[in-house]
Amino acid sequence: MTALITLKNISKTFLTEEIETRALNTINLTINKGEYLSLSGQSGCGKSTLLSLLGLLDAPSSGHYHLAGNDVSALTRDQRAKIRSEQIGFVFQSFNLISDLTVFENVMLPLTYQSGKSKKIIEAKVDEVLAKVEMGHRKNHYPSQLSGGQQQRVAVARALVNDPAIILADEPTGNLDSKNAEAVLQLFDHLHQDGATICMVTHDPSSAKRASRCLEMFDGQLIKDNHNKQDKATIKPAELAAS
Amino acid sequence: MSMLIDIKYAFRLLFKAPKFTAMTLGVLVGGLSISLYTFSFLYTMVYKPLPIPEAQTAKAITVKFDGNYNLITGYEFSSVKESVTSFSEFGVYDNRSIRLSVEASGKDISGSYVQSGFFEFSRTKPILGRTIQTQDTQVGAAPVALISYDVWQSELNGDENVLSKSLMLNGVITDVIGVMPAGYLFPNTSKVWLPLSDSVFNTAAQLSESYHAYGRLNLDTTIEQAELELGQAINQVYQQNVKLYNLPEFEKGAKLMSFQSAQTNGQGGIVFVFLNGISWLILLLACINVGNLLLARTIERQKETAIRAALGATTARLVSQLMWEGIIISSVGGVLSLLLVGAALDYTEIAFHSWVPGGGSFWWHWGMDLETLLMGIAFIFVTILLSAFLPAWRSARQDINATLRDGTRGAQSKKAGRISRILVTSQVFLVATLMLIGSVSAYISHKFINLEMGDNYTDVMSARMTIPESKYPEPEQQLALFQLLKERMEQHPNIVGVVANDWRPQLTVTLEGRDYPSEESKPKIDTITVIGETSTVGINLVAGRQFTHLDKLGNRKTAMISQSMAKRYWPGESPLEKSFQVKIDNKNEKVFVVGVVTDRLNPSTMFSRLDSADEVYLSGLQFISSFQIVYYRILPTTQNAEEIFYQAMFDTDRSIEMTYSVQLASKNRHMMRDSMGLMSNVTFGTGFFALLLAMVGIYGLTANSVAQRTHEVGIRRAVGASDKNITQMFLKQGARQLIIGLGLAVILFALISFGFHKFTEEIFPVYLYFVIATTVVIGLSVIVMLAIFAPTKRAVKMEPSMALRYE
Ligand SMILES: Nc1ncnc2c1ncn2[C@@H]1O[C@H](COP(=O)(O)OP(=O)(O)O)[C@@H](O)[C@H]1O
Ligand SMILES: [Mg+2]
Repeated sequence: MTALITLKNISKTFLTEEIETRALNTINLTINKGEYLSLSGQSGCGKSTLLSLLGLLDAPSSGHYHLAGNDVSALTRDQRAKIRSEQIGFVFQSFNLISDLTVFENVMLPLTYQSGKSKKIIEAKVDEVLAKVEMGHRKNHYPSQLSGGQQQRVAVARALVNDPAIILADEPTGNLDSKNAEAVLQLFDHLHQDGATICMVTHDPSSAKRASRCLEMFDGQLIKDNHNKQDKATIKPAELAAS
Repeated sequence: MSMLIDIKYAFRLLFKAPKFTAMTLGVLVGGLSISLYTFSFLYTMVYKPLPIPEAQTAKAITVKFDGNYNLITGYEFSSVKESVTSFSEFGVYDNRSIRLSVEASGKDISGSYVQSGFFEFSRTKPILGRTIQTQDTQVGAAPVALISYDVWQSELNGDENVLSKSLMLNGVITDVIGVMPAGYLFPNTSKVWLPLSDSVFNTAAQLSESYHAYGRLNLDTTIEQAELELGQAINQVYQQNVKLYNLPEFEKGAKLMSFQSAQTNGQGGIVFVFLNGISWLILLLACINVGNLLLARTIERQKETAIRAALGATTARLVSQLMWEGIIISSVGGVLSLLLVGAALDYTEIAFHSWVPGGGSFWWHWGMDLETLLMGIAFIFVTILLSAFLPAWRSARQDINATLRDGTRGAQSKKAGRISRILVTSQVFLVATLMLIGSVSAYISHKFINLEMGDNYTDVMSARMTIPESKYPEPEQQLALFQLLKERMEQHPNIVGVVANDWRPQLTVTLEGRDYPSEESKPKIDTITVIGETSTVGINLVAGRQFTHLDKLGNRKTAMISQSMAKRYWPGESPLEKSFQVKIDNKNEKVFVVGVVTDRLNPSTMFSRLDSADEVYLSGLQFISSFQIVYYRILPTTQNAEEIFYQAMFDTDRSIEMTYSVQLASKNRHMMRDSMGLMSNVTFGTGFFALLLAMVGIYGLTANSVAQRTHEVGIRRAVGASDKNITQMFLKQGARQLIIGLGLAVILFALISFGFHKFTEEIFPVYLYFVIATTVVIGLSVIVMLAIFAPTKRAVKMEPSMALRYE
């Protein structure tokens, strides 16, 4: 098993107007390649903060973070930005598409921040991921012209476009009705089957169960770590035959 | 109650953003102060009522002639005054500088020669004695004068027996018959009033002097009727003489105006409107900036507004709530500007009266008067409307549903973004245009201020004088008087030299042995007549000789020319004894060159001859004129230098009234340079303030657009944008607006400077315009880009996880 991510004694404290909030408290976690994690817990327990750290949107107050074997806990802002554009894919609860850009341009965004990619390759890649989320026919529309479910599928496409090492999703179904939520979750299932590593924050127990591994947080700490089923990538052929 | 809550809330918001509040306030106070000061300053100059009773009905009367407003001649006045029926009062006066001699020294004071009825016209009684009556103006009457309160206090120490005193005025012992009240300097700056002799109305039409006229209409007469009647009467008189004296063929008319307006030749209104227009543009710019800053803030709170609306707040209620912030800023800014302008006006009052000789017209008093206060309040209301009400109204009328549903700041902020971009572009355009034109005018002022004139006026006094042709009709008589005067002056031990000049206009010169296709193609050259030696004023001989007493009537006519002219028309050979013709009084006179002198620039022909110092000097003994400027050089330590002229003058003929004013020859030039310097400072100051205003505006607009895009920045950062990517994004957008604004301004500048270049006959090199354009473009680009760059730093600094949370 290859460890993609290792967190060692990670803590994060916020200082606002003299008040110290300890959002993460000595987190230790290893994420393997191809794992599909769900992360749940009460509101305010630190899930989004943990995801931000994983996605290098923020730096930990203390502890060590290894991504694909490299220590990334003390990188400069621009080094972190480079890793984000190449190895991380984000999906947010509120979609976070840029309203002034078309669907196509939104999806293209991460690639424009990478250097040395030809226009042709970029366009081909964007078309490919849009097809994957079945949004190819709306690529010249603006986000405001799409439904919530469609917007979120575009957001997923954007998260995929740079072939990330890990996809981080913060309550991706929180703003969606059950039908659209199901579509997004199915998309994740497919991605997982294709070998993607995913970490998804969710409130919904049934969604959480679709993941291969369920984490639960409380007050900045990991309190539960259940392996539901074996990841496809690590399942041995014999076991597959037996099941 | 709810209003109180709104006000409290607005104050809290303003205090929470002290930098924003200070910036907005600064922009407002600047814009308001500039326009209010401009208004008040010009209003006082052009429209302030005269501080005399019944000022409204007192009119200055001018004569319309060839598009100008002129004075009335004594001949015209005496011819029409009996027949014209429109006026209940009608008279003339003349403003002169009057010499008050006190033992061996003295001073010039401004005074007026007036008729009986003059003081009655101004509805003001003397505090002591009597006014000028008809017997005082009769030929042979005893010399009398009224004096101002000031003169009474300073010259006679406020002596109560002033009416038994006399003063030496223009070399004549004059009895004081009255003292006018303090502050009375009617019609302008007069401190002494002398009788205008009836004899001036007996002169022939072509010799008659010009006078200021005043009048009041009969009750049942309109201004138009009076203008028509008087105009026709004057025109009739004029047309009778057109043929007789070969006068220009124009119609004459009459125009009644206020005394204030007459003072600016009727042009005051145009200047008033033009300068106020510019200052209102600045105020508008300030209001728009403030309005947009406030609008951006209300848009930030749009969600809050939508929630309030959903909870049942009416539009009126919302507008009021959003407006208070703007009202508070506008009111505080308004009060601050009123205080600032009041202080500036008080300072102007002191500075102006000490700077301008005579202190300017007596009704020019600057200060926070009622008109300024009312205008200030009007400005504040306009400001509130533009910078508080409109943005609030727009924000309150948003689509509540859309805002609540979509959560992001959608269409509304997009529209605001577009407006903000247009504003940045137009401000860049405005400021660039101001700076470009300002730089050219600053360069020209600098050039003029430092211009070498080629003469030497150190220790030189000048006296302008006109001999009345009524008393000395023959040129020989006039010349004899000048020569006598000159000899008297030269006898004074402190006099180094005396020269009298009459500056003729540019005269047409015909060079011998040259072909000219037409009269127009002949050169026109500055011509000056000379009695005495030009070296007195530093114009030195380089070849030949100066004029002598032999260059007189009956002898061969002679000329001196400048080096520049010698080089131009006789290159490589001596011009001495060459001859050419000058056209004087429609007659070509042949003159022989006897001397060549150093060059000088003639400042009266400004642009057209800056590059040429061609001059022709003619002998004043051969070309005689009743007007002369007498220049005399004195020993450096001479006291009361002007008294030397007056004594010689009064010894020569004390019985005549000449117009003369004696001062340092360099004084006019210094005045001109000072006012040019002042003008260029004011222009530059205004331009600089506009720049500051625009910078703050652009900074604020960019800061807001950056703040509004914080969330977007967060998204971009999340998908991998680096600091550099983000900064570039903002700068690129700013650069686009900068380029459009600058581009438009440079195109406009190119057009203007092309016209200007032609108008100034290409005396400034073309590269000057390029240098100025390049400098302004580079300087402004740097400043604008800094104003754009500064606020982007904030967005760049923020951690992306924070930016994503930002609402
Ligand atoms: N930028 C921040 N500044 C201050 N406190 C923060 C910040 N981000 C998160 N927190 C605090 O950290 C805790 C965890 O927040 P978060 O990770 O968003 O919780 P959730 O599990 O609901 O996603 C909360 O108490 C929150 O108030
Ligand atoms: Mg969260």
